[in-house]
Amino acid sequence: MITERKPKNIFTQGPIAASFIADSIQKHNTKTNIGGHSIFLGQVRADVIEGNTVKAITYTAYEEMALEKMHLIREEIFAKYPLVCMHVHHSLGTIAAGEICLFVFTSSAHRKAAIDACNEVVERLKAELPIWGKEIFEDESYQWKENK
Amino acid sequence: MPVQVIVFGQLTDVMGNNPVMIENAADTSELIDQLNQRYPALVNKPYIIAVDKQIVTGHTALSGNNTVALLPPFAGG
Repeated sequence: MITERKPKNIFTQGPIAASFIADSIQKHNTKTNIGGHSIFLGQVRADVIEGNTVKAITYTAYEEMALEKMHLIREEIFAKYPLVCMHVHHSLGTIAAGEICLFVFTSSAHRKAAIDACNEVVERLKAELPIWGKEIFEDESYQWKENK
Repeated sequence: MPVQVIVFGQLTDVMGNNPVMIENAADTSELIDQLNQRYPALVNKPYIIAVDKQIVTGHTALSGNNTVALLPPFAGG
């Protein structure tokens, strides 16, 4: 099925609330052609670097470019996997350690497509979207996050 | 023809958060030469270049009214 999909805004100011994620799951109960969901949640980790603990990450993005790129990734993922739907949310602004900064949610009739698509979206958005993270330490110093 | 330059991530430590206007840069190489003279700390920083949101490589011609973005390694997620 070919459907026209408009670029969606993936960015949320601040952390992604657990209640938002729960509501998002709940909303799928009318889509009864779905048999499997896959969800990835990224959480800000309190890394300790030379005795200094990360207390938060401040995310910024080249938003227009990121949304255009995410739209292309979305089109390619839908062309590759038989998904029913896919939702991506990424935080901007300052997210404290322990809070959720990334929510990727894929759904399909059978589990494999949802799981594989979810993994691929997470890998691609980390590699291809112009997003940056400033790791803020407890003493207010900072370093720029590097993806591994 | 002025070109607007915007930077992100660690490059804001070098060039700040506001767009920088560069005059008389015929291509991205000339633009980077001018930026390196103005911001010596930029010289050894890793980044890729996007012209009007498209990633480019090599000497890309600038026609004026372009927005050139310097993008350090991405760190989303």
